[in-house]
Amino acid sequence: MATAVTKSKILEDAGYDYSFDRKMYINRKTKKAFSVEFAEDHNEDELRGCINEDIQGEGWRFYFNSPPSEAVKRELERVLR
Amino acid sequence: MAERTVEDRLREQYFDLLPDIRRVAEELEAEVRFCLLPISLKLDRYERLVVSSRIKECESAVNALRRRQEGATFDREQPDLYVLTGLKDLAGVRVSVFPRKRCEETRLEIRRRFADWEPDPVLDENGHLLAHKYFGYCKASNKVRGEFQVLPMLTSLFWEVEHAAIYKPTPKLKGVAGHPKMKDRANQVAAALKAFEEEFEMLIGRDPLGET
Repeated sequence: MATAVTKSKILEDAGYDYSFDRKMYINRKTKKAFSVEFAEDHNEDELRGCINEDIQGEGWRFYFNSPPSEAVKRELERVLR
Repeated sequence: MAERTVEDRLREQYFDLLPDIRRVAEELEAEVRFCLLPISLKLDRYERLVVSSRIKECESAVNALRRRQEGATFDREQPDLYVLTGLKDLAGVRVSVFPRKRCEETRLEIRRRFADWEPDPVLDENGHLLAHKYFGYCKASNKVRGEFQVLPMLTSLFWEVEHAAIYKPTPKLKGVAGHPKMKDRANQVAAALKAFEEEFEMLIGRDPLGET
């Protein structure tokens, strides 16, 4: 449990807010989003690596265990606008 | 004409299934009450065994299925991926027991009747058991599965209050419960309720006059 809380703190300290409806940690500034499942299944160093990852382009980057389909990405990008 | 969404299709599914859902809840409640009569009849005055049934409401079922998807989002281009019969708790019975030492015999008594149902225990983040839970099919329907839970009454009442006060009026807030900090707080509540009950049971057991 302490690990789950620690991971949540890592994300929140990095500017991520938790969306209760979508079960994702979202950072509008960096345009990155982490699913709860992804955060649960990756260790703290891996999460930090993803947070610090330099991404190119205009779109959102979704860190999911199963990559979201294009339709899901479009839907999420619509609600994140 | 407006696009027919995944949610629209699921609502249609729900109302097709509703008669089955109701029948499963009725059968399950009747069976469980019958199974538990031998225990109910021998309870001490301070002991409680409360059986309640419920059916999942339409929007709650649709939201539950959506929240199961990563990112809690349906793929609108693949509506056939989603079926409400995938939910294990469209119809459910809860048996709330006080004191918690009665939980095990209660579970075993129901389990005898539903021997082929699959266990799906509710555990806290540390792997401690919060509630016994089983799901499967009964005679009332081969489409809709039912679920029964056996849990300590104080835990049951806490979950009911939490649900009634927060999640029922605003189903979208259901996701709050999934936040690690909320899970941590919920674990603390469960531990406090357990300690409370254990203290109560210990004091009852020590009563020199045993007038309970």
